[in-house]
Amino acid sequence: MRLGERASGGIDVIFRGRGISRGLARGEVLKFVEPFSFLGGVDPKSGELRVGKGNLRDHVFVFPCGKGSTVGSYVIYDLKVNGNLPAAIINSTVETIVATGAVISGVPLVDSVDIDLLRDGDSVTVNGGTGEVILEGVVMQRTATCFLRYGGEILMLKRSDKVGSFQGKWAGVSGYIEDGETARETAIREVFEEVGMSGITLSAPVRRMIREDDNIWCVEAFLAEAPTREVDLDWEHTDHLWVEAGKVRDMDTVPGLLDILDQLL
Amino acid sequence: MYLTRHEEALLAGEEGFGCQRAMELLVALGKIYDADRLIPIVSAHLSGVSYKTMGEGGLLFLKELSGDARVTVPTTLNPAGMDLQRWRGMGVDANFAAKQIEIITCYSHMGVETTCTCTPYVIGNLPGIGEHVAWAESSALSFINSAVGAMTNREGGPGALAAAIVGATPEYGLHLKENRAATIVIEVGDIREIFDLSLLGQAVGPIVGGGIPYFRGIHPELEGMKLLAAAMAASGSVAMFHVEGLTPESDEQVLDGLEAISIGRRELDVAKESLQTADEPELIALGCPHLTVKEVRELAKMLEGKQRVKDVEVWFCTSRSVRDECTKEVEVLERFGKVVCDTCMVVAPIEDQYSVTGTNSAKACNYLPTLCSQKVVCASARELLEGLM
Repeated sequence: MRLGERASGGIDVIFRGRGISRGLARGEVLKFVEPFSFLGGVDPKSGELRVGKGNLRDHVFVFPCGKGSTVGSYVIYDLKVNGNLPAAIINSTVETIVATGAVISGVPLVDSVDIDLLRDGDSVTVNGGTGEVILEGVVMQRTATCFLRYGGEILMLKRSDKVGSFQGKWAGVSGYIEDGETARETAIREVFEEVGMSGITLSAPVRRMIREDDNIWCVEAFLAEAPTREVDLDWEHTDHLWVEAGKVRDMDTVPGLLDILDQLL
Repeated sequence: MYLTRHEEALLAGEEGFGCQRAMELLVALGKIYDADRLIPIVSAHLSGVSYKTMGEGGLLFLKELSGDARVTVPTTLNPAGMDLQRWRGMGVDANFAAKQIEIITCYSHMGVETTCTCTPYVIGNLPGIGEHVAWAESSALSFINSAVGAMTNREGGPGALAAAIVGATPEYGLHLKENRAATIVIEVGDIREIFDLSLLGQAVGPIVGGGIPYFRGIHPELEGMKLLAAAMAASGSVAMFHVEGLTPESDEQVLDGLEAISIGRRELDVAKESLQTADEPELIALGCPHLTVKEVRELAKMLEGKQRVKDVEVWFCTSRSVRDECTKEVEVLERFGKVVCDTCMVVAPIEDQYSVTGTNSAKACNYLPTLCSQKVVCASARELLEGLM
């Protein structure tokens, strides 16, 4: 991903997916979170979804993948005949039925895009030729996170109400990546500032993007063995706990944390 | 994906809209399945023929495509939604018939052979060993991969049509020798009649899924292969199988280390019970896949001189070619029911007239409840027909 030109209230983010069906279109996202069958899933006469809510017409229809009868390809064509085609389709992983329907109906289709980063009402431009999806008006937040481990337990910190985001949630050591800084440097700096530890060795990073309101958090996360159980908290946190990895899921954590921690461990 | 200069030209629309759409579709499918290139095909077989399954969208797509696109290899068609000549006798309404005939006209205009059958391999569309084709119709494509040794993926209707127009298909999956190896061994015991092969397919499909079974202990002829292929493609998504000592690629299989399972009478009974949802059929339909000449002759022999007592509608579904070849036998069969051509019980709108169908086809038993809202009696042809005498 790279940053595009500035737009009002945020920037444009470009995702590089795989172009499956050609064409260029812009529209508002209508998202369906489960595998979708066009046969039975939408009324071609009106464009109204029969499962879930909304109308496909002129929307960028986002769903993980197609399923069901191969007749679904012709249902997409039926939408075209009735003037109810979606502007474009974005899938996580496309399969034959949806690809066929999109191609024969001339709907731009891109797959291999992380659809968790898109939500209803987003303005997006889809280029089915290049595979580019441009998401307009979001704020990119680049952060680094470090999970400290001591005796098999993970250090969790409770975010104070003085910090700018996710107040009251449990998180690892984390902070914004400042200009001219690498994620590694941020992690080491934040560990020293937030819990007073130094001399740590960071693991290989896990990278994740997480959508939250109009922000996209680009998180680069590391694991490190802590030299001590002694924690010296700064103003950013109100509490700390050393927790067995399996118990982290019982805590009220910041978005995406469990997934990232799973990967690091 | 690498495209030849000619293919690039098609994609650029230099030979018209229909060819361009066809190329776009092949390129999209090639991308999805990581094909390096297109390979020439020697024939195609298309599904997506019945107005019942294609609907208005399908018809309009064909109309648009048939404006300037023509098939470039011999291409045959799957069954339609009615007997194209005797649809009134089947109780098909006039509007449906008009739409169905429009669909056939579009295909005919594109140069497709319009003998509508799911057994194109017995009416002249028979590729050779190692030849690449693009076939839809799950039972037929499994038959030619397995029994014949031709090479095709499990195509959808539009993908097969696009391949027929371009004369090529993306090279992936079963077009590559290394993807045609057996994945599981099935040891079969106690096959007593040909109906058991349909049940065998029903039992094996869910276990194998999209894998490639290697059968031991069966010796099917063409008709048995046909039923086995059809049942496994419907209950699972099997596109190819091997039969020890019989199918052309069976000798090359390396079976060491493969999982092996046994199927016997108990499993066949369970398969039959899983399909059966009623006892008294309103319609008895045989010929899924379409009856061959041999099957028509055997049925005629069974029914010759017999009196029909019960009044139940009976359909013998076959291709027009087979019907034309068996005029004497057809006379015998028509004393018991209709010898229906171009269509079958699954793709015809039988739900407008019947609610319980009896058949010997495990494939039909899989689709009748969902596509035709039918309850199903699953039994051998002999059991079903003797119930009428």
